[in-house]
Amino acid sequence: MKRVIVCYKWVPDGADIRIDERTRTLAMDGVSWTLNDFDRNAIEAGVQIKAATGCDLIGVTAGVDTEASGKDALSRGLDSLYYLSDQAMADADSRTTSEVLAGMIGRLGGADLVICSEASDDEYAQQTGPRLAALLGYSSVTCVSALSPSGESLSASRKLEEGVEDVEIAGPAVVSVVPDINQPPFPSVKQILGAKKKPSQAVALAEVVGDMDRIRPQLRTDSLLAPEVSRKRVSLSAGGVGAADAVAGLLKALAAEGVL
Amino acid sequence: MDFSLTEEQTLIRDMVREFAEKEVKPIAAEIDRNHRFPVETVERMKELDLFGLSIPEEYGGSGGDTVTYALACEELAKVCASHSAILSVHITGIKSVLLFGTEEQKRKYIPDMASGKKIACFCLTEPGAGTDASALQSRGVRQGDTYILNGSKIFITNGGVGGTYCLYVMTQPEKKLKGITGFIVDRETPGFAVGQSEDKMGIRASVTSEIMYRDMVVPAENMIGAEGEGFKYAMKVLDSGRIGMAAQAVGIAQGALDAAVAYVKDRTQFGKPIAANQGIQWMIAEMAAQVEAARLLTYRAAALNDQGVRISKEAAMAKLVAATTAMDVTVKAVQLHGGIGYTKAYPVERFMRDAKITEIYEGTNEVMKMVIAGSVLS
Repeated sequence: MKRVIVCYKWVPDGADIRIDERTRTLAMDGVSWTLNDFDRNAIEAGVQIKAATGCDLIGVTAGVDTEASGKDALSRGLDSLYYLSDQAMADADSRTTSEVLAGMIGRLGGADLVICSEASDDEYAQQTGPRLAALLGYSSVTCVSALSPSGESLSASRKLEEGVEDVEIAGPAVVSVVPDINQPPFPSVKQILGAKKKPSQAVALAEVVGDMDRIRPQLRTDSLLAPEVSRKRVSLSAGGVGAADAVAGLLKALAAEGVL
Repeated sequence: MDFSLTEEQTLIRDMVREFAEKEVKPIAAEIDRNHRFPVETVERMKELDLFGLSIPEEYGGSGGDTVTYALACEELAKVCASHSAILSVHITGIKSVLLFGTEEQKRKYIPDMASGKKIACFCLTEPGAGTDASALQSRGVRQGDTYILNGSKIFITNGGVGGTYCLYVMTQPEKKLKGITGFIVDRETPGFAVGQSEDKMGIRASVTSEIMYRDMVVPAENMIGAEGEGFKYAMKVLDSGRIGMAAQAVGIAQGALDAAVAYVKDRTQFGKPIAANQGIQWMIAEMAAQVEAARLLTYRAAALNDQGVRISKEAAMAKLVAATTAMDVTVKAVQLHGGIGYTKAYPVERFMRDAKITEIYEGTNEVMKMVIAGSVLS
């Protein structure tokens, strides 16, 4: 295992997004950007592979203003960064992102292993990993909850609905890891301050994508509204109703709702 | 004028914030109640390189500037002032050696302190010498290549868990303030002992102890800087230490404000959240404005320190305003909680108890006013 690439996404920080209670629209003004939460797990999975094999660990990202993500990502244990920042990525769907990432990874000369997380905080499409594998011609292994090098190959556990499936992966692969795979540690002060000393290289969109038609988003977002939560606000103990009657009323109401 | 933080400052602040939220906050009430030094989170702070924050890398520190150090103290204090106190007094302890020690002393002592292997203590206060350092009773008498130290100190933060102590004693009592000299003392030095720890009102998870030394032989090479210069050194060390204290006060105030905001939005009386009442809104507005003002004074003092400017006045102003703010805001936060705020069900009573010390230690509010007036009227 000589080269491992971790793909990560730079996304709006969900903690900063405010919901207009009247219109249910999302207020994105003043929202800061952050490393996709699930990608912390992907980076940590790469760091653990590096600790076991001594491989070169490269972070790859494509999006808007991604240069701002460099120190955060590098502080978490990546050796170097290869990034693409282009306004054309503002409306990227999974197809766009995976095409661009595949172009970037191809330009790097490929990898023995590419690690993605299951999904991104903003889109949650869960497609980039498998699409990337198809474009690169690598094996695709999803739902990975454990990953360890085993000689020249990799052992992985896949967390599925019915149970856990153990697989051996030979040859280059793209794995998508689930958050259960590890507990990403906080980067230390020295790691954060040391990030600026690590190599970071930008690449232009035209250098990695030959045919711009291939990255034109196929998915258009027509509307984005916060889910509506409505409560029935029924009080069963109001008006001096005793506890026994209130409990009986509660059981009846729950049964009527089909909960019991 | 640019008030924005650098990328590194933001990342370190966010890291400390997440650590504080996930690992410190869950134990904050328990360690306060049980008066327990939080070994487990202190070890984690060492792993995260916080014990070497603002200490140069060449001496084994983590690097980072004073602004970053202030941000870390503030974030810790937002959930637990004891953690902030443990860190900031440790850094103040290191500063005696960093600012005034010889190159050899820095290379010998700072790496173990900056890694957290040895927690540092700053030791000036005595039973008869609080604000008045000229009344120090501790004595140091030169004997060949050594000094023989006798005396005791009180209210030493981290005293019971310290490894390296920067000790200020009288070596020339007749010269009063100009007769004070600092020494670096290892806890293992024969004749050194740690006395009892105080049962405090607040910052109860930090250990505040008496230390004693009888016929303790300290090599003359452990003297910090020049003989008789100790008071001057101590005051300069405290200038930067006060930034940590101001940041701690800002953090306590912000923690109390956050708790109050959450409570008044949730608490319903007369059919509506109490936050809908103008009387409550005005209190919240005043608290928020006070906290922001204290924060800006603190960050400015920290930024000036990073520029190498002498910051006695600015640090004193920051600490005075931040400590007063912490006290005022925490009292209001308890008031906004009503009866439940007076119980341990919510953290605001702890914030209120923790706030009080910021008006007292590393220079009382009154001393801060003396420093400010001395500068303004000079």
